[in-house]
Amino acid sequence: MGFIMDGLDAEEYDRIYSDWALVKRILGYFKSHLWKMLVVGAVVFLSSVMDLILPVVVSQALDQLQFSPEAFDPIGTSIILGVAASAGWVANMIRQWLSAEAVGDVTLDLREDAFNAVTERDMSFYDQYPTGKVVSRVLSDTQAFSETVRLSINLMSRLLLVVLLIIYLFTVNVNMTWVLMAIIPFIVYTALKFRTVARRTVTNSRRQLATVNAHIQESISGIGVAKAFRREQMIYDEFKTVNQESYEVEKINGFVFGSIFPILVTIAGLGVAAVVWFGINMAQQGILTAGEWFLFIQGMGMIWFPLTSISSFWSQFQLGLAAGERVFALIDAEALVKQNADDPVDQLEGEIEFVNMDFHYNEGEQVLKDFSLRIRPGETLALVGHTGSGKSSIAKLISRFYEFQQGALLIDGVDIRYFNLSSYRSQLGVVTQTPFLFDGTVMDNIRYGKPEASDEEVIEVAHQVGRGDWLASLQEGLETQVGERGNNLSMGQRQLVAIARVLLQDPAIFILDEATASVDPLTETLIQEGLDTLLGDRTSIVIAHRLSTIQHADRIIVLELGEIIESGSHDSLMAAGGHYATLYDSYFRHQSLEYIERMAG
Amino acid sequence: MNQKSEFSVEGLRDYNRCGPVRWIISHCLEHKLYLFVGLFGFALTYIAFSGARVMFGRGAELIIEGGDAQAVIAVSLAVLILSVSDGLFALLGSMVMVILSTRVERDSRHELYASLLGKSQTFHDQQRVGDIMARATDDVRQLNFVIHPGIMFIFDMFLGFAVPMIYIAAINLELLLAPVIFVICYVFVVRRYMRRLEPVMMQQRMQYGTLSARLEETISGIEIVKVAAQEIEERKKFKRNAWKYRDFFVQQGKIEAAYLPLLMFGIAFGFFFLHCLNLYSRGILSIGDIIAVAGLMQVISFPVFISLFSISMIQLGIAGARRILELIEQRADIDENLAGHGAAVVGAIEFDHVTFKFHGSTVLEDVSFTVEPGQTVAIVGQTGSGKSTLTQLVSRTYDVDEGRVLIDGVDVRDWNLDRLRSQMGKIEQDIFLFSRSIADNIAFGVQNATAEEIENAAKEAQAHDFIMSFNDGYESEIGERGVTLSGGQRQRLALARAFLRQPRILILDDSTSAIDSATEDEIQKAMRRAQEGRTTILITHRLSQIRWADRIIVLENGRAIANGSHEELLRSSEHYRRIFARYGAVESPIGQLAAGGGA
Ligand SMILES: Nc1ncnc2c1ncn2[C@@H]1O[C@H](COP(=O)(O)OP(=O)(O)O)[C@@H](O)[C@H]1O
Ligand SMILES: Nc1ncnc2c1ncn2[C@@H]1O[C@H](COP(=O)(O)OP(=O)(O)O)[C@@H](O)[C@H]1O
Ligand SMILES: [Mg+2]
Ligand SMILES: [Mg+2]
Repeated sequence: MGFIMDGLDAEEYDRIYSDWALVKRILGYFKSHLWKMLVVGAVVFLSSVMDLILPVVVSQALDQLQFSPEAFDPIGTSIILGVAASAGWVANMIRQWLSAEAVGDVTLDLREDAFNAVTERDMSFYDQYPTGKVVSRVLSDTQAFSETVRLSINLMSRLLLVVLLIIYLFTVNVNMTWVLMAIIPFIVYTALKFRTVARRTVTNSRRQLATVNAHIQESISGIGVAKAFRREQMIYDEFKTVNQESYEVEKINGFVFGSIFPILVTIAGLGVAAVVWFGINMAQQGILTAGEWFLFIQGMGMIWFPLTSISSFWSQFQLGLAAGERVFALIDAEALVKQNADDPVDQLEGEIEFVNMDFHYNEGEQVLKDFSLRIRPGETLALVGHTGSGKSSIAKLISRFYEFQQGALLIDGVDIRYFNLSSYRSQLGVVTQTPFLFDGTVMDNIRYGKPEASDEEVIEVAHQVGRGDWLASLQEGLETQVGERGNNLSMGQRQLVAIARVLLQDPAIFILDEATASVDPLTETLIQEGLDTLLGDRTSIVIAHRLSTIQHADRIIVLELGEIIESGSHDSLMAAGGHYATLYDSYFRHQSLEYIERMAG
Repeated sequence: MNQKSEFSVEGLRDYNRCGPVRWIISHCLEHKLYLFVGLFGFALTYIAFSGARVMFGRGAELIIEGGDAQAVIAVSLAVLILSVSDGLFALLGSMVMVILSTRVERDSRHELYASLLGKSQTFHDQQRVGDIMARATDDVRQLNFVIHPGIMFIFDMFLGFAVPMIYIAAINLELLLAPVIFVICYVFVVRRYMRRLEPVMMQQRMQYGTLSARLEETISGIEIVKVAAQEIEERKKFKRNAWKYRDFFVQQGKIEAAYLPLLMFGIAFGFFFLHCLNLYSRGILSIGDIIAVAGLMQVISFPVFISLFSISMIQLGIAGARRILELIEQRADIDENLAGHGAAVVGAIEFDHVTFKFHGSTVLEDVSFTVEPGQTVAIVGQTGSGKSTLTQLVSRTYDVDEGRVLIDGVDVRDWNLDRLRSQMGKIEQDIFLFSRSIADNIAFGVQNATAEEIENAAKEAQAHDFIMSFNDGYESEIGERGVTLSGGQRQRLALARAFLRQPRILILDDSTSAIDSATEDEIQKAMRRAQEGRTTILITHRLSQIRWADRIIVLENGRAIANGSHEELLRSSEHYRRIFARYGAVESPIGQLAAGGGA
């Protein structure tokens, strides 16, 4: 299947499956629908037979009419035609009905598997692959795949008809059947030629659509910036180019697909003419009757259509396989974060220890180097340092979002690699640096980490955050709709919701990554008061630039370029007069009225 | 039909937007020639195709009644020519329709996109990006299919009935009985069928949009999903949505399975054949004639057979068109006002009794203040008091509900929007970076920035050093929304982006919250330089910055409760003093530092 991926913006995690492996896997999805598929097979056979009856009965009727009109029963013949048509229709209905269910279920299963895989990928995966493309794998590729399956079932029934027809025609007249079949290689050859071209154009077309998709996704997400900078024209021009390119590619693709049928019709036309000519000659020699002759002409029409479909849809079929391959690659993608075991985690004490850890996101951009740090259970540890010094990275490592390269990370003395991540993380309470809210109410969002929490619990927690003053500024209190990503709340409000969300979770380890950076100092002090009691006996890691929020921490760590350059309590660090003291000094130059006045005066 | 729009594109046609069908038709009519040639091609196709069936009848007569070799060759040749021209005309028609359909796809996506750009922020606040994406790609692609092969099938249907029936009539008028009755029933049944299918199709498309939007959201928020260990819960939600979609899909399949016209045709054919036999026994029809008309009757089966797919396709397309139109037709509240005031901005800002509401609830109430050109005004207040919203009124992201916002004495609503916004620079609180290179991101606000200018801006924003620490320097690609950067790094890029623009009015919304104090020291110097000579609106929690503002506005719950210089406020405003008192409460190292000579 590798060839089809050429150019279809293959991702790093894409892999190549053999056709057989793909088919086997796909069939595996149909296993639970075995009886349905068996019934489908039976009715496909039935409807093919019924489809065959029509031309055969007509041709025999014509012969009887010609040679033994007295024995002919016109009404009976018509009834047979009607009944055959009805039976065929019913068989078809059953086929469509059942295959719609089967295909619907299989697509659903596949989508679910893909989605489950998505939730299992680690963060580096999402750093690398844009949302739009992942979405398109989970939705569009599974869709393309199911279309193909439906198509295949359809074509299979047609193919069966061809086989039955040819067998029957051989019993009627062998030579004429050969004449008829002489055209088959031409049709197949042409269709196969088309396939090569079609494969390329259709791949291009999908790639182009993905580009259009990505462009729209990003420009609409960032529409606010484009507006503020009045750069709509630029974005628009870019879009126009992308859209025009998509048009060119799509047009060619349309030409290729739109011409397959007419060209094959033309070729089949040659075949029909041949059948007509040979047939009349044979009939005039008495080898063939008029009715049989007509049957062969109709047979031509019945043969070329499915053959053409199969040959030209072959590329479609390949595309479906390729789509399946893309979905499977997503499902099978190797996790970069490797767990050695899957041990459930009991109530944690909260001891965290980094042992000689090396960590980087990208080769050559070292973030932590030979990093060692032990955090005692119940300790409140503050991390300070320049932006980009690795504070958030430490938080992310504790959340086990990324794999480190060297050293170890022990939680309660156990290697983090042995944990069941879901049960481990449920004991972490992390407020990330950029708060992310889900569309819904404030209440829904606070409850996010603990869906079973009652309304009262949520209300209580919400009031614990900054004494609940912030709730008054929400238009409809806890019922306020936050909008996509929380866009309808102010940044500070989003952070407050995020804090409440974590408090409700009641975790063993707290990590607050600049959790109040966008909150005004007044509210922040209020939050701090509440937090102090909550964080009291739990392990907590606080990252902040407002040093007022961290001076009561048990221990303060100063990071620079991923290394600990100072460590100690506020007082001891101030006394030492090193980096922390300078930092604190510059912070105070920013924040203390008295100081500012004195310097100004 | 002229809508308000924040952004307009020249040369975009007005299409009829009264309904999805009319809209599609008006798009098609833009390319009348193609439509006409396509129709012509398909008409000839059917004439040739049906003509060949008539020739079969001739052939049968030659068999039964005998004929010379020449006649046989003539008939065979006629079949050959008719069959080949059938193919060739179909090719012509199909190519033309391909052009038509891809053009319509292109144009309608264009129309949609331009209209999205023109919509106000109020509109975008309410949309889900995932849903817009589904509409702009999948739904628009459906439009393509409506025309090719959708409309092509309509031609087929029309011609596929009419042409063979004319031939049949030419052979024997009476024989039209069965086909005519069939066509009448067909029209009736198909209409009913379409009415049943339509809601399912529409719901299916809508559910697809929801599915896509939810999925997009989960993936965007994956960090929270993971950290809250809510994977299972998310899977359940996804499954629920995917199930609904599956149900509509199956429902569609079941409705399609019971497509009656296929059955009706089979029965009609039985009657038709009986009728033929009857006419034969009365000596009116020859066997050759029967073969000809039976062949013609089968021509009719082709469009019937095909209509099963084409109807679904057309309905999906119409559902798609409806969804697209829904977006396009939504009212935009802000107009770009091309004829408006367009002078160079000097920089005076005045809020004149401004009241602003989000969906009916008041966010700003009766706010009044003035800022002289070149002044810096700081806005302070608690979270959610309306600070960010206030800045959005200056750039006219939203329109006020009462009162006026004046720039240089002119109401922002009377300004040419382009002139107004292009002279402002803004660092939003929720920074958005594009997944392009760092250089492109910094240069986003200006046309043709040189590499040197970009670098200078980055240096001013204290971003140069960290940029150079990346393997690819300025050419490093930033992940989606800048996920691969630390918070402070993102803010510094946004600062560089705003600096490079050299705006007349600079809006800084909490733009250094994630930056440590030491780095901020450096940035502040640059900001002071940047502020020089331009009007600056500053939202910050850092006293040092507030202190240097010419004017400070204290917001509480959307009301400007105090307004003045730092000294004035210290004297007059209890509230202001209270904010400062909070800072003062922090244990202060000042004594020792002052003793040590300060820094
Ligand atoms: N997901 C990521 N992929 C690649 N690089 C990253 C990623 N996140 C952070 N970095 C880089 O790692 C370094 C440390 O970042 P971070 O830990 O976020 O710093 P901070 O101390 O400001 O929280 C920075 O140089 C940043 O660019
Ligand atoms: N797009 C929006 N839609 C609805 N309400 C909003 C929107 N943006 C902000 N709000 C509400 O308006 C109020 C003021 O928000 P904002 O101006 O962002 O506050 P801040 O002073 O913290 O910057 C808040 O209560 C917030 O919930
Ligand atoms: Mg950080
Ligand atoms: Mg704000």
